[in-house]
Amino acid sequence: MARSSRLLAATSVVVGAALALTACSSSSDDSGGDTGAAGPVTLEFWGWATGLEDAVALWNEENPDIQVDFFRMTGDDGDKIPAAIDNGTAPDVVQMSVHSIPSHVIANRLTDLTEYVGDLEDDFTEASWANVTFDGSTYAVPQDFGPNALMYRSDIFEQHGLTVPTTWDEYLETARALKAADPNLYIAQMSPNETGYWIADVWQNEGSWFGIDGDAWTVDVNDEASKEVAERWQTLLDEDLVKVVDMWTPEYWAEINAGTIATINYAAWFPAMLEANAADLAGSWSVAPSPVSEAGSTAAGAGDSSVDVIPTGTEDVAQAAQFLTWLNTSDESLDILVGENSMFPAALSGLQSDALHQPNEYFGGQVVNDVFAEAAENVPASWVDGPVYDLVQDNIKDQFAKVGNGAQTFEQALDAAAEYARTQLEQQGLNVK
Amino acid sequence: MTTATATAVRRTPRRRPRAGGGQRRAPYLFLAPFLVLFAVFTMAPIVLAVYSSFFQTRRSGLGFGGEGEVVFAGLDNYVRALSNDGFVAGFGRMLGYGVVQVPVMLGLALVLALLFDTALVRWKPFFQLSVFMPYAVPSVVAALIWGFLYQPRVSPIVEGLRSVGWDVSFLSPDVVLWSLANVAVWSVTGVNMVILFSALQSVPREIYEAARIDGASELRTALSIKIPMIMPSLTLTFLFSIIGTMQLFNEPMTMRAVTSNISGDYTPNMAIFQATTLGGDVNLGSAMAVVLGLVIFVLSLVVQGVSRRRNGADR
Repeated sequence: MARSSRLLAATSVVVGAALALTACSSSSDDSGGDTGAAGPVTLEFWGWATGLEDAVALWNEENPDIQVDFFRMTGDDGDKIPAAIDNGTAPDVVQMSVHSIPSHVIANRLTDLTEYVGDLEDDFTEASWANVTFDGSTYAVPQDFGPNALMYRSDIFEQHGLTVPTTWDEYLETARALKAADPNLYIAQMSPNETGYWIADVWQNEGSWFGIDGDAWTVDVNDEASKEVAERWQTLLDEDLVKVVDMWTPEYWAEINAGTIATINYAAWFPAMLEANAADLAGSWSVAPSPVSEAGSTAAGAGDSSVDVIPTGTEDVAQAAQFLTWLNTSDESLDILVGENSMFPAALSGLQSDALHQPNEYFGGQVVNDVFAEAAENVPASWVDGPVYDLVQDNIKDQFAKVGNGAQTFEQALDAAAEYARTQLEQQGLNVK
Repeated sequence: MTTATATAVRRTPRRRPRAGGGQRRAPYLFLAPFLVLFAVFTMAPIVLAVYSSFFQTRRSGLGFGGEGEVVFAGLDNYVRALSNDGFVAGFGRMLGYGVVQVPVMLGLALVLALLFDTALVRWKPFFQLSVFMPYAVPSVVAALIWGFLYQPRVSPIVEGLRSVGWDVSFLSPDVVLWSLANVAVWSVTGVNMVILFSALQSVPREIYEAARIDGASELRTALSIKIPMIMPSLTLTFLFSIIGTMQLFNEPMTMRAVTSNISGDYTPNMAIFQATTLGGDVNLGSAMAVVLGLVIFVLSLVVQGVSRRRNGADR
């Protein structure tokens, strides 16, 4: 039944597109233009990154044959996408979270873009390209990226005569020193509801939640790389060196503003949020590379990032891919997205752009993106998303809530989440090793 | 003359069936819009959910490059739903919540309604409006407001209690269910009060007068006359409250943003949402929804059965 209705939807899309094409080509005949198979087309594009309107406007100006109609997604618009694709009413291009790719691929919602954008590999950071490629096929074009660096309260560090930690061992020592200097001070917060922290630490440690081994998925939620991170967090929690507080809540921002949290090891897009929610702390923060496991390593972690995909059922895949290539790799487009709208790009050329490396007033004039850009290139290409990512993420949040309450350890949480992930994959009928 | 009467006589029986037919058709015509909407928006989704609960999408290998095959799965989805710990635990939580929240809320609504019905309370409209007002606040907004009031550091309540040495934590795992119940009590006491109050208003005043002449106190009148007289309304509000409890979704979903102690499958409805939206498994979600529907159906029947037997015994 699902298949026949999908076929019906696909047929109606084809018919609709054919009609549209005839209409367009007849008008272009009138103007005496070219009559190739690729007549003028109009692509519908749903996205949320700031500045996309401006980039699209520039593209439309330069490409009369491939017009893009942009629609800004807000709030829960993302939830509409699966239904829209399944019913054949999806736009031609959609921005989505990178972690959603596998679940959409197994539901046959994404066009395999290997033959259109496969040669863009060298244009992107290793990690961001690894995230859009599964089993040799590319399903998306990376748009932005969120490498981690250590934002720290330089005033607090100075006041207590502390140096910025470069390894996780030093980090632990610093945490203890802070606590000794002032029992109200925490080196960081532990937020059960925000997996971004966790993912970034595991990623930095060359871990992943999922993997692909031949024609089977592997579940790596509780592998060695993750357990090392778990041990570190467990120590911080046991010694009361981190404040347990859910992120994004008013309570969290109150803690930040009260100055009880001294460091935030988080993504490149976070400084803007910090500025918006803790404006009074301007000039108190600085950015340094994330601490590493072993001295000398440069590995960095990363969290959420977004990509652009072309849903199945889209007629003009070649043109859409052409637009996406321009949008995410050309200097013209990146200047608009990075420079005026402070997107942190996944493209290497974007990382080099002058627009990115501007002094940040909130951070006392430091060029913070120097640190983040270097981190972006040092994120290991280890992370693999799986088809039940959203469920596993939700489960990990619930497990970590119990860790925050002292009801279980990080290691127990990971084992439970791994078991859950395995069951979910099996229930989808997929091979699991 | 006679011919005229004859034609008149002849004409009447001829006209009558036509008029009668129109009258018989009229109710259906008036009902038609409702029936169509009912069929499309109530019956069809139920039928679709039941249908879809018997199928599964089967995939193989990595699941890439194929559409997956939709196959008949028998009761497999129901087995999965009932062996899903989170989903089943959600029912447990909701039952515990209902056992406390529903009596507390209805008790409060009843006491308020009785107070408003007696002459004890002045400025009735003002108080009635104040009690009813929270109902006008959308449940999501109510949960946001209370979520703010429950949070340490930002809540005047929590900080106030802390300053007098009482360290409360409204969002801790053991307490959060009752914090949710409090939001519901705040939201719906007023509307239940209004229903019970209007039932009280329809009780003939002579009965009260008779009671007063017999020397019954206000309390005695309330217990022996007013409450039994409004029993049908109490049953109705009780039934709606149970259904509301089992369908709880907005408040915990919203409060989840401020505390991780509400899990993704905290209530049965949230578990369904998790299975369909996050897990993309519409078939499993359908089976869960059918199970939830059946539980609510059975609970409703039990409540109605018990109340009917009680009413019969009274008579």
